[in-house]
Amino acid sequence: MRRGRIVKVINEAESIKSFILKVNIDKVIPGQFVMVWVPGFEEIPLSPSLHENSYLRLTVAAVGATTEKIHEMNVGDSLYIRGPYGRGFNLNLRGKYLLVAGGYGAAPIIYALKELREKGKSATYAIGAKTSSKLLFVSEARSIGAKVLITTEDGSEGVKGLITDVIKDIIEEYDNVLACGPEKMLYKIMNMCLRANVKCQLSIERYIKCGLGICGSCALDPKGLLVCKDGPVFYAEELIGTDFGKYYSLPSGAKIIVR
Amino acid sequence: MVALLKTSISNLKMRTPVLLASGVLGSSYGTINRVIEETLVGAIVTKSFTKEPRNGYPTPIVAYVKSGLLNAVGLANPGYKMLKELLRNVSRNVPIIVSIASSTPQEFAEIAEYAEEAGANAVELNLSCPHVKGHGLEVGQDPEYVGKIVENVKSVSNIPVFVKLGYSDKVVEVAKRAEKAGADAIVAINTIRAMAIDVYAKKPILSNTYGGLSGPAIHPIAVRIVYDLYKVIEIPIVGVGGVMDWKDAVELMLAGASAIAVASAIAVKGLNVINEIVEGIQKYLENEGFGKISDIVGLAHKN
Repeated sequence: MRRGRIVKVINEAESIKSFILKVNIDKVIPGQFVMVWVPGFEEIPLSPSLHENSYLRLTVAAVGATTEKIHEMNVGDSLYIRGPYGRGFNLNLRGKYLLVAGGYGAAPIIYALKELREKGKSATYAIGAKTSSKLLFVSEARSIGAKVLITTEDGSEGVKGLITDVIKDIIEEYDNVLACGPEKMLYKIMNMCLRANVKCQLSIERYIKCGLGICGSCALDPKGLLVCKDGPVFYAEELIGTDFGKYYSLPSGAKIIVR
Repeated sequence: MVALLKTSISNLKMRTPVLLASGVLGSSYGTINRVIEETLVGAIVTKSFTKEPRNGYPTPIVAYVKSGLLNAVGLANPGYKMLKELLRNVSRNVPIIVSIASSTPQEFAEIAEYAEEAGANAVELNLSCPHVKGHGLEVGQDPEYVGKIVENVKSVSNIPVFVKLGYSDKVVEVAKRAEKAGADAIVAINTIRAMAIDVYAKKPILSNTYGGLSGPAIHPIAVRIVYDLYKVIEIPIVGVGGVMDWKDAVELMLAGASAIAVASAIAVKGLNVINEIVEGIQKYLENEGFGKISDIVGLAHKN
């Protein structure tokens, strides 16, 4: 575990802040995650939105006690980091990329976008949010030369509706889709890509407790895929026939239906 | 698998003497089947099941320390009623040993009965969890109470009953009492109660403060306890504790273990470590001129 000192705090969107930490960890591949411990609170998995030199950017939505505590933190405060863990996005595939972000799922997506643009690849950034004040990384995506598509559920910016409704008509123009966001969205994208025969990588979420591939908390039946070790990024083909999109395992291991 | 690695403990036939220890990847059928298919594991010990579902402790539940791993998962499990679904979906190519954690003889027996009905090949009584109050070490250090638990479980069981003991001054006495009560095997040892403090955060790392230490740090302790147990009990011993490679496995067998179980090594080396250990044991037997596993069990005791 390494101490990361906060050197900058950025208000990205409503209830979403980025924290830039100076921390000495191995290079994070876009899509990989780190475990972030707030002493006195929990240790949570976060997929960084940037890692350059020894600066790590964590984009955090305030959704629970631990993330709310992080939101109260300022420059000079510390977070405790272990990792990176898991398998990130494969950014070496040929062709055009469509990157799809739902809500704060934009964090690993913007990092992937940046690396793709640095490799000189053509990439579109499609971001969907509930409302315009929750949109993430729109100007950052434009500034690195990506085409940007926006949807909001209330129509306050971009096309009114869901991001999946917009991309379904254009998905065949791309060779690769990368996506991160709510499971229902990812499940739709997975099926779209399988039908359109577009290579698809999805960053998915489960309760990650150990991050080391031993506790089994993040396992996907029936294949026994471990989100912390084999993922969190999976190819669509790997997720076919698994609990993904259907059942979500609670911390006890009991399952609930994905809503 | 080559015949020379075949092992049996009580009436359980195993293709190899390398088991998956309780607590690692043993609560969902997908991961259990994956271990059975991708490795030469001899048997699976499930995660401990309790009467009620348990979420386990908040994170952090693990911390790396210099010579091992600390964990305080807190017996997270979906409750024993889920055993039917689990056992219906697991591969039956190797024996499935259901681990049970409880605090009373009645409840241990109730869950054991259910596990047998659900299709378990054996049960393992977790009498040594070092980090859940009333569910482990306190119970496992009292020879009379352990005797009572084992007798209760045996009175309702037709499948083998394994008893998992942890490090304590009374481990030999408790094992003897468990044997007298009808235990079919002793599994030793569990993790050892320990803790870690982050020097910058200036706080204990684990949310539960205390956890169980596993890995290389505890291996020599496991060897000593297996060695001591072998001297005084007749029933088979499953050696557990910091087995990171085939040498550690063979060492426990020479001390008296009929089989061994692997846990922390999987965090460090991945699932394939099971195959590495199996292959290493096989080569050792061949190179040293032994014809079967049982030839080396307890060999360190003979002159």
